[in-house]
Amino acid sequence: MNAIELQGVVKRFGKFTAVDRLDLAIPKGVTFGLIGPNGAGKTTTLRMIMNITKPDEGTITVLGQPMGEALQQRIGYLPEERGLYRKMKVVDQLLFFAAIKGVDRETALKRLSPWIDSMDLRPWLHKKTEELSKGMQQKVQFLGTIVHDPEILILDEPFAGLDPINVILVKDFFTEFKRQGKTVVFSTHVLEQAERLCERIGLLYRSKKLLDGTMREIKNAYRDRVPLPPPVEPEPELEKIFIKVVQESGLAAPTAEELR
Amino acid sequence: MNRKLLIVVRREFLQQVRTKGFWIATFLIPAIGLAIVGVQILLNRSLDAKGRVAVVDVTGRLYDSLVAEHRTRGSDGEKKKDEKASARSDSLEFIRVDATAETLPGIRKKLNADVQAERLKAYLVLGPGTLEKGTAEYRAKSVKSDFIMREQIAGWLSRAATKERLRDKGVDPALYEAARVRADLDVREAKDVETGETGKNVGYNIAVSVILFFLIYGSLFAWGGAVMRGVLEEKNNRIVEVIVSSVRPTTLMLGKILGIGCAGLLQYAIWTTLAVLVSTPAVVALMGVVDAPRLPVSTLVAFVVFFILGYFLYASLYAAFAAPFNTEAEAQQLIMIPMSFLILAATTWFFAFNDPDGKLALILSMIPFTSPLIMFMRITVQMPPLWQIALSVAGRVYRVGILMYGKKPTLPEIFRWARQAD
Repeated sequence: MNAIELQGVVKRFGKFTAVDRLDLAIPKGVTFGLIGPNGAGKTTTLRMIMNITKPDEGTITVLGQPMGEALQQRIGYLPEERGLYRKMKVVDQLLFFAAIKGVDRETALKRLSPWIDSMDLRPWLHKKTEELSKGMQQKVQFLGTIVHDPEILILDEPFAGLDPINVILVKDFFTEFKRQGKTVVFSTHVLEQAERLCERIGLLYRSKKLLDGTMREIKNAYRDRVPLPPPVEPEPELEKIFIKVVQESGLAAPTAEELR
Repeated sequence: MNRKLLIVVRREFLQQVRTKGFWIATFLIPAIGLAIVGVQILLNRSLDAKGRVAVVDVTGRLYDSLVAEHRTRGSDGEKKKDEKASARSDSLEFIRVDATAETLPGIRKKLNADVQAERLKAYLVLGPGTLEKGTAEYRAKSVKSDFIMREQIAGWLSRAATKERLRDKGVDPALYEAARVRADLDVREAKDVETGETGKNVGYNIAVSVILFFLIYGSLFAWGGAVMRGVLEEKNNRIVEVIVSSVRPTTLMLGKILGIGCAGLLQYAIWTTLAVLVSTPAVVALMGVVDAPRLPVSTLVAFVVFFILGYFLYASLYAAFAAPFNTEAEAQQLIMIPMSFLILAATTWFFAFNDPDGKLALILSMIPFTSPLIMFMRITVQMPPLWQIALSVAGRVYRVGILMYGKKPTLPEIFRWARQAD
């Protein structure tokens, strides 16, 4: 069964058509990348899947049902424009997110506890959000997205504005979710990320879908039509080097203050 | 949906109530109100006549009479009731200056110098005209000031001259005093069973209504503004999109309005409690206030009801007008349009109060923007449920507006959102 299905979806803003007759099928359990330049219609598409805005035409089916309010509770959504209440304590904020997703206090704290520890968030739980570094705030936002243990995760440009440590963190999230058999849909305009993380992609350009399928299918289809890159000697990735250097330095792991 | 609404209401309420500003305002506003009343009382005392006023009595008959009137009567012309009042107005001193028609010019010259040097506050010249037509000269350094004192002196002089004129006609002035009666309207509602309360303390009732009226007026501005800031904060923080991914925008807006409104009601409850405490017999006796003021329950109920009605209307407008914009300044420009109606109500309340069933009051209470306030003045509950319409239209504008960033939308665009179903 498909986790998400779009059929003939159209969204207009006045005279401008933001999404034009979009058909899309995302199977359960895959990591799907919605790629394309800024203004291609990625955010509008994700918002429609999330039932924040409604399509002018077409149907959206999620987990076999027409998208509606009840289904919102089964999806975790991290918008590109993400924020927190600055004056609220971190723990109150997380419990507020849990509450509007219908998760009670105890369940929420129990579920988040391992994450809070692995993210070094515990000392910050009773601080006001405005006292946290940007990186710390992003961690809180991620926790807010998964507090209700969603079956589907929709992330709009999840890597935008993240420092290297948090990029690794988000990738860990992806791995963990995949291991649990959950569906992850994210948008990005950085093609390398999509290439490395996704099993399937869809390409949006000027409100239209130009391409979709599994990464393998697409690569096979275009094998003879685009020039291949020159063979490269395998070399260590900078990210791995960074982690190694930090570990070998014998210094403490980077703190939130340093990543501010 | 109801559960989510409650969660949003709770968050908004706690966010307001947990600020220091809320508690400062809650206790400072009544304190300032009391301070203003106190200053008024003090200032009223300063209205009493004081200073040295020379009296040049060319007729030779009016001076003693004038001084006697001043001694026996308070500043309002009524007979003084107690010693305290007479001690107060004794700060005005009349000085007799004898003169004849021949010596008058020289005396004038000297008195003018005294007034200019502020040895005298003013001087009066009473001549034959005073007895015939009631005209008298009053000369002071400035003709603009002391108008209350001038009225008082004119009152005493009128009575003094009247008595002298009666004497000329062969009537004993004591008869005038004995015969004179001051009419007083006993105002009550036309009912077969008259209650003692109605009509009593009319001045006090007006004062209470006016104070409550301006409390509603101030609250609508203050809490409406809080709604606007809340909407803009969520929008500028970009948190709104996270929330509308699990809460309907209209639920979020309604929750915000209700939550902030609850904070407003809590403030009102505290004020009401304070007011009731202050007017309990024990406290009243303690403060030595004689004519114990009492808030009629119906007034209190109307007060809360009209705050709620007005708040819903204006808060939803504030939410709708804030949602399309990114800064408070941009939103304020538009919100001034409905707000001017509120100001209209605040500037016309007196007429509505004087004639609660008159045309003006009727018209203003029909205009939805002014009705909560004017209706409160009329205390006749027939509020059209327009705030409900306002709420739904505001919801549509809000829903679209909160996700719009960047370019400032035009008024036609906002109206288009209001018409859109989605």
